[in-house]
Amino acid sequence: MKIKFLLLILLFSNSAFSSYKFETVLDDLEDAWSFVFINEDKILFTEMPGKLKIASLSDKSINEVDNVPLVRYSDQGGLSDVALDPDFESNKRVYLSYSARDKNKKTTLFLLSAKLNGNTLENSKVIFQAKAPRRKPIHLGAKIAFLNDGTLLLTSGDGFDQREKAQTLDNHFGKIIRINKDGSIPADNPFVDVKGALPEIYSYGHRNMQGLLVKKSGEVYEHEHGPRGGDEINLIEPSLNYGWPAITYGIDYSGAVISPFTEKEGMEQPLLYWVPSIAPSDMIYYEDDTYPELENSFLITALVSKDVKKVTFADGTDTQESLFSEVNERLRNIEASPSGILYLLTDGPKGRLIKVLPKE
Amino acid sequence: MMKIAKYPFAVLSAALFAVMLMTPVSSISKLIWLTSVDMPVGLVSSLEVILFDFQRLGTGLFIILVIGFAIAFSTAGLIARFSSLGGKYLYAIAGGAAISLALFLMVELIFQSELLAGNKTVLGKILHFGAGFFGGYFFYHLISSDRNHTFIIRFLGIFYAYWLLGLVLEWVFIPVNASADFGFVFNELTSDAQNALLRDFTSFFAATFLFAVLGSITLNPAWFFSAGIVYFGAGIFNLIAIYAHGTDFNQIFIFEFILGAWPSALGLTILLKERKAT
Repeated sequence: MKIKFLLLILLFSNSAFSSYKFETVLDDLEDAWSFVFINEDKILFTEMPGKLKIASLSDKSINEVDNVPLVRYSDQGGLSDVALDPDFESNKRVYLSYSARDKNKKTTLFLLSAKLNGNTLENSKVIFQAKAPRRKPIHLGAKIAFLNDGTLLLTSGDGFDQREKAQTLDNHFGKIIRINKDGSIPADNPFVDVKGALPEIYSYGHRNMQGLLVKKSGEVYEHEHGPRGGDEINLIEPSLNYGWPAITYGIDYSGAVISPFTEKEGMEQPLLYWVPSIAPSDMIYYEDDTYPELENSFLITALVSKDVKKVTFADGTDTQESLFSEVNERLRNIEASPSGILYLLTDGPKGRLIKVLPKE
Repeated sequence: MMKIAKYPFAVLSAALFAVMLMTPVSSISKLIWLTSVDMPVGLVSSLEVILFDFQRLGTGLFIILVIGFAIAFSTAGLIARFSSLGGKYLYAIAGGAAISLALFLMVELIFQSELLAGNKTVLGKILHFGAGFFGGYFFYHLISSDRNHTFIIRFLGIFYAYWLLGLVLEWVFIPVNASADFGFVFNELTSDAQNALLRDFTSFFAATFLFAVLGSITLNPAWFFSAGIVYFGAGIFNLIAIYAHGTDFNQIFIFEFILGAWPSALGLTILLKERKAT
């Protein structure tokens, strides 16, 4: 009885002193993975089983989009990221990353471009298929971002079993890919003239990258899951090697050493790494003033620590703060609406879209 | 008593022996790959990988192998009893098959991924079968003659040392992580404090590790008592630090008393058996 009473007090005190209030906007989302704002009211979101949906946040109606490609929904695979073309207002094009089987029945990462006409995808075209076949759909990466020059970046994970291939340029395991919106290869890609290297590669030596953003200034940031420990945030530059698995701050899930090295000349150091792992799942750079206390911060959702890490960098050191842990669920995605309101997507078969209300 | 007890301890011993043969397969395959990408692999980094894998990867493998070997050797025992087949090669093949099957099922039924770096190649699979083969051979050797209490004492002493090895390796190779486990932020300590921490903690765990190994080899109870005294001392002085010097409560004293009691019990058993014999 005493314990129950104490728990009640704790619960009450937690909510009483909570900094933010939360409002569930949508619920019962089936393994929702990613969402993007079409406008202040409408979002487009993916569910890993292969469903793309449009939701109105005001009346909470949800409509399924037709003609979505067939995906391989298993483990970490399925319909993953969704991104709007920078010229979406005029061309209505959307981009979807997903895992599916290739002609050899192996699973790999695909990127599709299509025109969104009402609730239907039209003129669909696979603009990229990763040369990263694997038996099981894990460590796919699958995040999409646009550079300021209009070209498109896509993260392609190391496939877990093929981690060593992240260090060679003849495949797409553990790489960040850069292509044009039509799937062609930009002439200024860093490895277009390197013999034996795949020309789509922008950077390499990555693991499973589930956060990718381009700041207004044009800087590219990525975060990736480490194994047991060693989650990283990296500042991405073309052609650079980020070291996995030759250098790492983590150890294998089995307890084995992956590499005894944490640094080497010619391999980039992360801006920040986490030991133990927080399992970072998405990242934005918040540049609005709706939440003044969050302005100019990286906001990173985490699956294991079940919070959002607010990270800032100054003079070579980082400052971290844990936010929104009151939600107490694995957080899959974070986006800011056009007016700067933050929304969180929770992970799992009964996912929720949660609106973070600014402090009064 | 020992007629029956020798079988489970023979399984445990064979599993630990097979682990010792298996983990270097993964370690060496990683070191070869690291060398191939121009990483500065040397003696120290090689030792770090091999020893850490033996201790940390080995702990998980040990549990899997104990289960696998228990089933395989029981089956081999039944075959030997009810057929003309038998002998060391039957157990050796059973051991090899147990490891191969366990690693196969781990991939197919559980993880769908190859967790063991050394099992990705055909050569690695053959070497793992070989580890099981020699594990089975060792098991047959252990059960084929009478054993007394020293067999169990040796296994428990070695197993104790095997567990301590993890702490020794952490303090030798990654003191920053080891310090964090004990509540220190290593980089925030002064240089003198870092030095004191490293030399004292490393020698503490290395010494007790060596005491356990020497006790297991020589069966001289003094070595086991030495390890026991050190950990009992740590537990007692932990309590004195809490109650006499006002430090925060630290429940690690429970583990310190367990680590003290374990080798002390082994030393005491040797003493009592020696007295009984005389």
